[in-house]
Amino acid sequence: MNPADLNPAGLNPAGINLVACVKWAELRPEIDPLHGSVEASQRSSGFSSSDFAAVESALRLAQAWSDQGQTCGVTVLCAGPEGAEDSLRDFFAVGATRVVRVHLAEQRSSAQVAELLASALMPSQLNAQFVICGDVSSDRGSGSVPAYLAHHLGMQQALGLIGLESTDPGSLHATRRLDGGRRERLLLMTAAVISVEGSVATLRRSSLAATLAAKQKTVEVRKQQIDWPTEVNRLRPWRPRARVLAPPAGDDALSRILELTGAQSGSTAARTLRLDPEQAAEAVLEQLAAWGYLDDSLPT
Amino acid sequence: MPDFDVIVVGAGPAGAAAALEAARAGRSVCLLERGPYPGSKNMYGGVIYGRVLDTLIPNWWEEAPIQRWVTRRSTMLMAGDQAVTVDYRCSSWGEAPYNGATAFRPEFDAWLASKAEAAGAVLICSTTATGLLRDGTRVVGVRTDRPDGDLTAQVVICCDGVNSFLAKEAGLYPPSDPANYTLGVKETILLPREVIDERFAVRGDHGVDIEILGCTGEVPGGGFLYTNAESLAVGLVLSLPKLAACGRRPEEMLAELKAHSAIAPLIEGGQVKEYSAHVIPEAGYKMMPELIGDGILVAGDAAAMCLAAGIWLEGVNFAIGSGAAAGQAAARAVQRRDTSSAGLQDYRRRLDSNFVMSDHRKLREAPHLVMSDLAQQQLPRIACGVMEQLFTVTNPDPKPGLRKIIRGQMKLNNLKLRDAISQGMKALRTFG
Ligand SMILES: Cc1cc2nc3c(=O)[nH]c(=O)nc-3n(C[C@H](O)[C@H](O)[C@H](O)COP(=O)(O)OP(=O)(O)OC[C@H]3O[C@@H](n4cnc5c(N)ncnc54)[C@H](O)[C@@H]3O)c2cc1C
Repeated sequence: MNPADLNPAGLNPAGINLVACVKWAELRPEIDPLHGSVEASQRSSGFSSSDFAAVESALRLAQAWSDQGQTCGVTVLCAGPEGAEDSLRDFFAVGATRVVRVHLAEQRSSAQVAELLASALMPSQLNAQFVICGDVSSDRGSGSVPAYLAHHLGMQQALGLIGLESTDPGSLHATRRLDGGRRERLLLMTAAVISVEGSVATLRRSSLAATLAAKQKTVEVRKQQIDWPTEVNRLRPWRPRARVLAPPAGDDALSRILELTGAQSGSTAARTLRLDPEQAAEAVLEQLAAWGYLDDSLPT
Repeated sequence: MPDFDVIVVGAGPAGAAAALEAARAGRSVCLLERGPYPGSKNMYGGVIYGRVLDTLIPNWWEEAPIQRWVTRRSTMLMAGDQAVTVDYRCSSWGEAPYNGATAFRPEFDAWLASKAEAAGAVLICSTTATGLLRDGTRVVGVRTDRPDGDLTAQVVICCDGVNSFLAKEAGLYPPSDPANYTLGVKETILLPREVIDERFAVRGDHGVDIEILGCTGEVPGGGFLYTNAESLAVGLVLSLPKLAACGRRPEEMLAELKAHSAIAPLIEGGQVKEYSAHVIPEAGYKMMPELIGDGILVAGDAAAMCLAAGIWLEGVNFAIGSGAAAGQAAARAVQRRDTSSAGLQDYRRRLDSNFVMSDHRKLREAPHLVMSDLAQQQLPRIACGVMEQLFTVTNPDPKPGLRKIIRGQMKLNNLKLRDAISQGMKALRTFG
């Protein structure tokens, strides 16, 4: 929406639609100590504190602008599995007007998640004027989904915000961290994608009546069809762990660095061996052992 | 018009069973839980005896989240670096309808609560009941920690576990005595399934329950070791006042149990995944509160219905049994439009006519006996001493007679024959 679409009092006759995007993620993943595989559990999954901050920010902005006579709605949007629905329903209790789940059963890249969310956010669908996301998800998120979203939706973006203040309906002041302890103050107008840190706001606690009423509410489910190319799982070679070395001896920094880097020690001359596979494997292991990469605990 | 017919506080086994039965009887039920999901706050040793579920959830074993079916029960008496174990195996316990099973509470409690929800109860999590709402002496609901958090009902069932603040607020408990409580501490130790199978000599989904006496030094109590699918539960139960008086840390005492030569090889190489602690209403029958008031019932640990009697540590089955009875009685009282104390007396009748009260009444002296010096100190030492002498070959000296060995050990441990007989009689009367 353009500022020109607002009437003189700054009000948008069609109402302002704020959409908070949240990611259903494993909050306390179990990592198998043997194979390193991550086991996700329904019970330990949920939303990050920055996602909650995004929802609370949307609710506060909607409240502030409603107090100024602007009609506002808050939609919570999540690309996630069916298992997220009980927790998503709780957003009705804090004041969301709509809760939408775009069906996504498996892990996808940030670019693909953003594509999916964007398809639900298009003007023909949810028609968001402000999209508010958490800055990073708790499962080692890169924080790139909001940037991809801004790209898909053609909106301006302000990411990693540490403060939000509403001004006139449809505009807000945002604070962003800069290097050296400095801050940047931005004036944002519709339409924009923003992302907030968890410290920006704590999600309000819903009243008992609203909590009970939310149990009866329905989460809208969208099944968006996007033909993603088939994922090819890359098999990477095994990389040995870094060796722990004793601190280098040496009187000055240069000699210690030389010792540490081995810059002046003789390097292993390249050899070309023509061996059958079994002998070749032996030779590789021998060389690895000579370099100190293999310890006794490793099965050879 | 109250918000609900019945409010159940606490979605542990007692609360879930109460909500299930009241909802099944057609009443509107709200099940309040302070944790983010049922079972999230709950810990215990690890064995559930499911017979009580047969009538509530037919063929429950086909769907309950079970770790292993217990087919081996051992009772171990420890003294110093010695141990005597009585080991019992029963392979039919590994087949339907089964006997006991190890299970994780976050999984088990959530499963049981889901049955109550499926029957129509409304589960509200992350919500703590902070007090009772009253009309005169009559309980008419609860106050919660949510904004505008008052909720009214015709009957409130307190299933909020040991040290129930609600039952105390209702005036149903006499002033509490710390001597009635023990502290349970537990470590969950990860080990691969095959290692557990090997060390405990079980296969498939069969598992082991070991109860231990004589492993808590000067503090009366006991120990346990249970097998889960890919972890072990090792823990201690310790008398609360004696623990406080001795000034030792429970985790230090647990470390000693783990280092004992009878336990260390079983847990060797395992990775501690979790440490947890919880209070147990050890005195059972003797500390039970009034169970019924105007508009209020108390069930499970909140009513001290945990059976802690040495070779038995059962609470979940008593919680389910009492919770179900409370749910049924509340539903009946609502239907008859009399939820006064008199109208709720059906709860007492139901408890008296099933295992909950008869076991507790019969075994009411058991906690005291198990915590006595005889059971805690003398018996384990005498048993280990007798075994040592019996099996130590003393050639060229001839073997001593068993009677002589026993007498010698009794003398060594200051146990008079008269005391032994009188305690034996007491034990027979209690357990007989
Ligand atoms: C170390 C230890 C080992 C044990 N071993 C065994 C064993 O092997 N087998 C066995 O059968 N039993 C065992 N028990 C006993 C067993 O755990 C209890 O008897 C049983 O859990 C009682 O169930 P309950 O539903 O009454 O209470 P709990 O399981 O304590 O459940 C109470 C519920 O109420 C909730 N709650 C509490 N206060 C409030 C409030 N104000 N508002 C809302 N919700 C609230 C709690 O979060 C909890 O979910 C053991 C106990 C301990 C401590």
